[in-house]
Amino acid sequence: MRSSAHSGGWNFFTLSLALLFALPFFSLLFTAASAEENVWVHLLSTVMPGYLKNTFWLMLGVGSGTLILGVSTGWLISMTEFPGRRIMEWALLLPLAFPGYIIAMVYVELLEYSGPVQTQLRLWFGWQNFQDYWFPPVASIGGAVTMLSLVLYPYVYLLARTAFLQQPATLMEASRMLGKSSKNSFLHVSLPLARPAIVVGVSLAMMETLADFGTMQLFAVQTFTTGIYHTWFGAYNAPGAAQLALSLLMFISVFVFLERYSRKQQRSHTQNSIQTQHPRNSLSGIKAVAAPLFCLFPVVFGFALPAGLLIQWAANSWREVMLERFFSDAGNSLLLAGLTAVLAVLLGVLLVYGSRISKRRRIRWAARTVSLGYTFPGPVVALGVLLPFAWFDRTIDAWMQATFGISSGYLLSGTLVILVFAYLVRFLALAYGTVESGFGRITSEMEDASRSLGKNTWQTLKGVHVPLLRGSMLTAGLLVFVDVMKELPATLMLQPFNFSTLATRAYGYATEELLREASLWCLTIVVVGLFPVIFLNRQLRESAPQNLQDKDHD
Amino acid sequence: MIECRNLAKNYGTLTAVSDISLHLREQEFISILGPSGCGKSTLLRLIAGLEVPSAGQVFLQDKEISGKKISLPPERRKFGMIFQDFALFPHLSVEDNIAFGVNGSASEKQQRVQELLKLVSLPQLAKKMPHQISGGEQQRIAVARALAPRPRLILMDEPFSNLDYQLRQQLRRDIRDILKHEGVATILVTHDQVEAITFSDRVLLMRDGKLVQSGTPEEIYQHPQTLWASSFVGEANHLSVEWQSPALNSAFGLLNVPEAIGKEARILMVRPEDFVVESATDGDSNGIVKTVDFSGSVQTIGVELNSGETIQVSGSPHLLWTPEDSVKITAERYLCFDSAGNRLNGCSSGSASK
Repeated sequence: MRSSAHSGGWNFFTLSLALLFALPFFSLLFTAASAEENVWVHLLSTVMPGYLKNTFWLMLGVGSGTLILGVSTGWLISMTEFPGRRIMEWALLLPLAFPGYIIAMVYVELLEYSGPVQTQLRLWFGWQNFQDYWFPPVASIGGAVTMLSLVLYPYVYLLARTAFLQQPATLMEASRMLGKSSKNSFLHVSLPLARPAIVVGVSLAMMETLADFGTMQLFAVQTFTTGIYHTWFGAYNAPGAAQLALSLLMFISVFVFLERYSRKQQRSHTQNSIQTQHPRNSLSGIKAVAAPLFCLFPVVFGFALPAGLLIQWAANSWREVMLERFFSDAGNSLLLAGLTAVLAVLLGVLLVYGSRISKRRRIRWAARTVSLGYTFPGPVVALGVLLPFAWFDRTIDAWMQATFGISSGYLLSGTLVILVFAYLVRFLALAYGTVESGFGRITSEMEDASRSLGKNTWQTLKGVHVPLLRGSMLTAGLLVFVDVMKELPATLMLQPFNFSTLATRAYGYATEELLREASLWCLTIVVVGLFPVIFLNRQLRESAPQNLQDKDHD
Repeated sequence: MIECRNLAKNYGTLTAVSDISLHLREQEFISILGPSGCGKSTLLRLIAGLEVPSAGQVFLQDKEISGKKISLPPERRKFGMIFQDFALFPHLSVEDNIAFGVNGSASEKQQRVQELLKLVSLPQLAKKMPHQISGGEQQRIAVARALAPRPRLILMDEPFSNLDYQLRQQLRRDIRDILKHEGVATILVTHDQVEAITFSDRVLLMRDGKLVQSGTPEEIYQHPQTLWASSFVGEANHLSVEWQSPALNSAFGLLNVPEAIGKEARILMVRPEDFVVESATDGDSNGIVKTVDFSGSVQTIGVELNSGETIQVSGSPHLLWTPEDSVKITAERYLCFDSAGNRLNGCSSGSASK
């Protein structure tokens, strides 16, 4: 092939990177298969039924919770007009800033037996102890479902809202002209058309739920993620943990498939239509009051209340907090997040470019395998990275001992290298995807023009692509940065001795029931988490067709 | 069957439709023709019930369906509508699209779907999804879907503008035949004069939200009410004229018109085919051929008149002129317009005399 004559170096680079990033997955496969006794049967008979039962209830609960909250708010915001709609439009995204484990920490502190709510109730009603009354337990499956629904519904909201807005207005009109009332038109046309987008949103929420570790651990809900953690740390049973990890991946792959399939379906639903503006249905009377209140509900409980409490607790515990500890943790988080973000953007650009200039399908495939890492939950990535690194360290150490009589110890496993590598496995997809969509706006003719003007691939990348991609690269970096800041399980499993980040320290405090002391740490993570929300909101405004009122204001 | 009285629609300060009255008879085909932005689509949507009028009323069989107090929702008017983007439901198969508006048992629906697929000659597409069929097929399915609930009236909003030229002509004929066969009254909204003329029994010409003229295509072509109408429907040459008692002085001689009219006349309108071109013998030439365009069935020549004005003349392709030929031009038929661009009655036809 003529065109690939010059991209040999690029192909080699792309392939080796893809292999490196597939390493964790293969190490899991290898470890799971190398079990000496049949761990699988043991797992099936002991922990598996419990995990399956809990996972089932979590899926059902978070699935319906995010579905109901996301679709109803998405519909209200996109199809109707009511007082405060424009504020609600972005406020509904705010709960995304809360990682599950932080909102869980806040509600445990608020609602536990010695927390302010129950204390106040006992005072009011004169109850003496927990035997006098019943209070829903926070640390339960129901609690976990509520917490995760509150912070994950924005996925569904975001996608449903965009899907409703992008439906051509003529479809609803055609349905009305064919004799269906506006309610029936919504049920038979609008909702089925938005269904693929809604399924994508719910699938993303499901994947996050399956991958969640912090909330489950805090609420003592036994699922695959906590199982992997305990099987590894509690029993150092690598094959067992690997088998659990693989079964979890099997579950996740169902949702990955569902998500990709629905995206494809949605594309065929939105082709060749003229974008027309939807007339918003102005709500009046009781509906004009009920709609903003309804939208306010998830915003208050998913963001305003927990954020307010964190601010209050942080303000109250200001003096007792060890600020040096805070700054050292923040520094560590900053270092890890910054380093990973820069590397992820760099590798992302090289990978996308490499697969773009390669005409071979195999290379494109290889580049895409990198994006699978994002579907791997933190504990799975950590385990998959830890096993080969530990093997590498042991081998080097043995060789050094044998040859030079000195021990090299843990060369990589005890350092930040392994942590950054694990982050890259998990989050490179995020940078890859963002950079790829940026590349989409650069036509292949521009590339050809540069090449025909005598520039080689490197010069073209530097002179044409990078300047045009600056925005996408910045966005990609930001997204990776924030996700690394929030990441808990992999950091917990891989962080060096005597080292902690904002996330792991906050979690550490929480396990010692020192939740108020953790508030400054939590607050910082939430504030950082707000940046992508702002970015998402801006992107939303640009992508959605403007409605008439927006134009009038301009 | 449909009557609009003094219909108007404002969006804030913008007037889309103002004071329009029209009457549509049973089984009649009318076109609403006008440039983009003239309010023709809004008028159609007012009739459909998709918009509520700011003033005026719409009557269906002498019963008010839109007005001050009443606004019958679109789903209860039983009108069929065909949209510019066809608006087929992308999540439903072709047969489910057609069955969407049909009431009755499953077998009744199935039967009606088969009838309509046969009517639009596409029975093989029943199970396809909209994105799997071509634009022309989508158009026919949209017609079938609109006809399926047996509507009293079909409304079409620029239904052919998304199709390429050849397909458009074919479909226009086919769909007109189908609708005539079903005997359903039809209102077509279009900016394409050829479409309006070939599709309908009567044309309503709209400009800036107002009705300019209504009549058969021939009437509008032969007797445009205004200068604008003369050039919007068909090709027109506009030449300045001046009253020089006792006749109207034009670039090709003096025209005999009554004095009262001649004094008002400012512009003479002549269709390109209404000129007669002859080879000039010395002295009687009044123009020189500048351009010659041959386009199959007709030849169009551009002639610069002695007055300095340029006209387009079309004629039989057998008389082949070449540039720089001296010619003598006369007008067989013409119309006079006053300074406001309105047609003057009693100043038409006749031939120019020396």
